[in-house]
Amino acid sequence: MLFALPALAVIALLVVYPIVYTAWLSVTDAAGAFVGLENFKTMATSSVTSTAAINTVYYVGASITSQLVLGTAVGIMLNRRFRARGIVRSLTLIPWVVPGIVAATTWYWMLHSEFGIVNGMLTGAGLVAQPIGWLTNGRLVMPAMIAINTWKLFPFVAVMVLAGLQTVPEELYESARIDGASFWDEVRYIMLPQLRPVLVTAVLLLTIWGLNAVTVIYVITRGGPANRTLITPIQILRQAFEALEVNQAAALSTMYFAVSLIVVALYVRFVATRDDEVVS
Amino acid sequence: MRLAARVGLLLCVAGLLTICLFPFVWMIVSSFKPPQELYAVRPVWLPEHPTLDHYRHVLGASNVPRYFVNSLIISLGSTLVALPLAIFAAYGFARFRFPGRRAGLAFVLAGQLLPTAAIIVPLFVTLRHLGLVNTYLGLILVYLILTLPLSVWMLTSSFTAIPVELEEAAIIDGASRLAILFRITLPLSLPGLVSVIVYAFVTTWNEFIFALVFAQDSRVKTLPIGIAEFTSEFNTDWGAVMAASMVMTVPVALAFLALQRLFVGGLTAGALKG
Repeated sequence: MLFALPALAVIALLVVYPIVYTAWLSVTDAAGAFVGLENFKTMATSSVTSTAAINTVYYVGASITSQLVLGTAVGIMLNRRFRARGIVRSLTLIPWVVPGIVAATTWYWMLHSEFGIVNGMLTGAGLVAQPIGWLTNGRLVMPAMIAINTWKLFPFVAVMVLAGLQTVPEELYESARIDGASFWDEVRYIMLPQLRPVLVTAVLLLTIWGLNAVTVIYVITRGGPANRTLITPIQILRQAFEALEVNQAAALSTMYFAVSLIVVALYVRFVATRDDEVVS
Repeated sequence: MRLAARVGLLLCVAGLLTICLFPFVWMIVSSFKPPQELYAVRPVWLPEHPTLDHYRHVLGASNVPRYFVNSLIISLGSTLVALPLAIFAAYGFARFRFPGRRAGLAFVLAGQLLPTAAIIVPLFVTLRHLGLVNTYLGLILVYLILTLPLSVWMLTSSFTAIPVELEEAAIIDGASRLAILFRITLPLSLPGLVSVIVYAFVTTWNEFIFALVFAQDSRVKTLPIGIAEFTSEFNTDWGAVMAASMVMTVPVALAFLALQRLFVGGLTAGALKG
């Protein structure tokens, strides 16, 4: 108990204190006077808030789905035997290892409408006549952000899946083969069920990271064009440090925190039902 | 049929490598291109007249070297503060049964769940009140939020994996708990320890949003902010951005590739066994 105390105290100080302080800020005004739910009312009725909320659900949901599908497929693929498998496994980790800011600026440059290599390749191959405004076209910019986010994190899922596949007992495959199972049968009836605990943990982490993911969008679009990529964390930053409405930002933070907590709690309660899957 | 499957697998592997590596390669290539090749209407694949100008500019005439040192100080500081706290906490969780143990572990995990955007405003107000905005100490403290919970979590599982019999033998010989921790448990969990150090360092090194808010002065700004500064809305110097990105990525990539086996083992042990 004494051993754990210092770390718990530090975490409490750095985590609990800000939460309590956020709650306090959210019900006061700039002068520190109590204003009840005024700040919440202002933020909840703002149309920007609902735009940001919809964008956040879209961004996080679509990112997790594609990270999970791609990561699982790649993990299963990297578990097959082929030449130089070890090197390929290491190289697959590169997107995950590259700092987020570097990934963001590199993709920003690659998607540049005039000089970006993506448009260069598309027009060079004659696939499109005009360069595509990946970051300026309102319908394309969010899918582009989701693609970048997927690129960044699918290797993490692949590594988890790969590690999970190492623990599948060889006998399961052997008996399946005796029954004449194909590779796809093995995926469907052995690998995916055995991977369930790993995938449950992976989705939990991806959700938390997704709700926190600001870097890519902040660096590339800052929420634009016309709020098409505005997600709630960026709205909080704007409200606090551009509009300098610290108390309204705190109200928004409180709502975001509460909703995130409910989502994670529901997930842990209903999906991660075996308690050894997430917490000890 | 078997041949078709093999070819299909190899094609998939080739596609995977292209997707993973191309942006990284493109960053390297771009950092060596002179402006007329960077901003060519028809894309130039490999630099025809490779140049070191961007590196000269970034390393000689910009704030990047200063930011590099700042990043190093803050990342090392945050790792060195988190490590002893995490070692003691993890040892307590792994070896003692005490009331509130499960609640404590859940609490540590909850620290990991916190959306950083939700606490950034009060943290900023608090740090400003304490005069810690734009200081190394303030940034090091703030980064403990990111590094400490997962460090405790990872180390707890790595300590739990060490057979308790080894320690019981030492207790019979009259060794104290501290002696056991430092002379038996820690040396035996070296892979876990290294994973935690790499994880904490890299997380801090890469972090962007906290740095953006809490380091607004060039004396303490970190590399991610330096790179973002090059990327302004108009007239971005893409060659310099790519060169600065290289400067930031290379140390991290080397650390990861060298420790890859160890790191992946430690992380998945934490994730799978809790």
